[in-house]
Amino acid sequence: MVQVMWTAEQRQRLALEHQILQREDFTQFSVYHKPSDDSYYASGYATSNAGYRYGLWISIPPGFPQERPLMYVTDPHPLLMRDGTPISSLGVSHKMHTMAPSTNGMVQICHWRDNRWHSGIVLQRVFLKGLIWIEAYEQHIATGRDLADFVRSMAETA
Amino acid sequence: MSTNPVQQQMIQEAMKAVAERKPGRSKLVYDKTKRTIVAVAAGADTPRALNITADDADMFAVVTLSSEWLRKQWPQVEKDGKIAVRFSSWDDGDAFTQTDLGPQPSAAIVQGVILSLREEAGASSGPALTVTLAVSEPSPNDLAVFIAPNGISYRAVAVQGGQRAQVAFADVQPELATRRSGILETTILRDKSVLCLGVGTGGAHAAIELAKCGVGHFVLVDRDRLSVGNVVRHPGGISQVGRFKVHVLRDLIHDKNPDAKVETYPIDLNHDSQEKLKELIDEADVVICGTDNRPSRLLINRLCVEANVVAVYGGVFRRAYGGQVQCVHPRKSPCFECFVAAMPDEASDVEVSSASDAADIAYSDRPVAVEPGLSLDVLPIANMVAKLALMALVADKQTSLSILKKDYEAPWYLWLNRPEPGTQYASLPPLNTLDDEMTINRWYGIDFDRDTACPVCGDFISTIAANYGLDPASLGTLPSAPEKG
Repeated sequence: MVQVMWTAEQRQRLALEHQILQREDFTQFSVYHKPSDDSYYASGYATSNAGYRYGLWISIPPGFPQERPLMYVTDPHPLLMRDGTPISSLGVSHKMHTMAPSTNGMVQICHWRDNRWHSGIVLQRVFLKGLIWIEAYEQHIATGRDLADFVRSMAETA
Repeated sequence: MSTNPVQQQMIQEAMKAVAERKPGRSKLVYDKTKRTIVAVAAGADTPRALNITADDADMFAVVTLSSEWLRKQWPQVEKDGKIAVRFSSWDDGDAFTQTDLGPQPSAAIVQGVILSLREEAGASSGPALTVTLAVSEPSPNDLAVFIAPNGISYRAVAVQGGQRAQVAFADVQPELATRRSGILETTILRDKSVLCLGVGTGGAHAAIELAKCGVGHFVLVDRDRLSVGNVVRHPGGISQVGRFKVHVLRDLIHDKNPDAKVETYPIDLNHDSQEKLKELIDEADVVICGTDNRPSRLLINRLCVEANVVAVYGGVFRRAYGGQVQCVHPRKSPCFECFVAAMPDEASDVEVSSASDAADIAYSDRPVAVEPGLSLDVLPIANMVAKLALMALVADKQTSLSILKKDYEAPWYLWLNRPEPGTQYASLPPLNTLDDEMTINRWYGIDFDRDTACPVCGDFISTIAANYGLDPASLGTLPSAPEKG
């Protein structure tokens, strides 16, 4: 893995992102720094309205915030559809609002597409999209209908 | 054939005049009564005859040589009495153009030789095309006359395949500069450098226009190769398919401005290449962003603002129903991120012109159709990009373009090719009405302010921290990642 040379502005931005999460009562999520390889990520456990817990993990790419961060569901793993097949088997899917899964099969939530992302979007908004996706996922499990039936296209502007 | 010696003499004189494209004492006409060509006195009234012009008589092939090249080679010509030269043969031998004149030779190359007069006797069995130079009187308007570095004039005569050919010397740079001199001083752009990031249809067209204006240095970056599908829009042609677009464009630029220095980088425009991009942006006078995807534009915007280099962003809407151009003067006008924040819908309305564009925004279960616009709908946008880049390049000079300064100060320009159904422009009045309303085929300069909270050119941290009631000076440190067991 190539060592990222983070700028002072990026580090300050990530510190701000963490504080916004805490300030806005998204305290189940944090931005973390890994001193061992000087990398960053954001993660935490989301609890759905029905009380189920889901692990969400956001990778912080080297070009952040101009480069879009990717958000994965780490738990449950594998994340299954109502028919029992893993969501990750769909790949980039409109009906389940997913992007390409991770190499180990974690589902990537489609929050903002590349052509809608901009660096003014804060991680709190990204986690909020994750929470909405989880609610829609549970509706899919309950009804069998596509997840896309429950969320407006996530292409809305920030 | 007339056996009249006077007529023969007149025919000879008239043909010489035609060949040299000069008025002579005799002229050729087609005598409708005799149904043959005759020579008559130049001022003769010939109501039953058809005048024959130089163009009618233009049956010689034309051989074009580079004056600059021959001046450089002159010591060798003086020493050896001859020098080899290669020609592109065009149109079944109708024209022979020295290959050193430009970067794109024809499929048929003809070997030739230029001889000083003393070597002429030995030329009969030599290469296919022989150009012989003989000392002549100075004749500034005669294209067949070459003035050597020693100041002596030489008239050139060419023979190709046993047939005489007409010679024309071309002094490329002075001739090109003369054509521009009414608008731009000839040397004003020679030392200017334009970095073109993305050289698809729009970027390539803008670069070629700037080459015609005399920009002397181009740096071209694009990882794509020219495909057959590109050819209906891109200036590169079908014979260039498979080449990197940067290399195709390099040759097209050299075809318009042979002295231009052109560097090419067939690399991706993404965060992996940002160190190289940073280096190239630092050296540029103006950046033209011709990419059509958001991630590369965000990256280029940040790097250009950081380097304080003017950047021009051009893009067309879906199926090129219109387009937009932004010119960013770092920290003086709104940057691309400010534009995205101010006009998110316009910023996201992009053309899907290739399969890779479509793949970037498609889901596997919801494909996106490739719907490119017409070249003629892209070119107004590319022209505007070139014009804004030109204005930025001459901003510190007094030129005849200076009167346009205020016209090109808007941060955003909008152009519509058609009233696209489903858009806010669907019911535009037709062009033939006199109403002072928005119509197609006009540029609209639109003003908007910089975003004070812009993450690139504003103070995002302070503004956002204040919005959330946080103190930017004491954001604290991040928690360390829990170690995995």
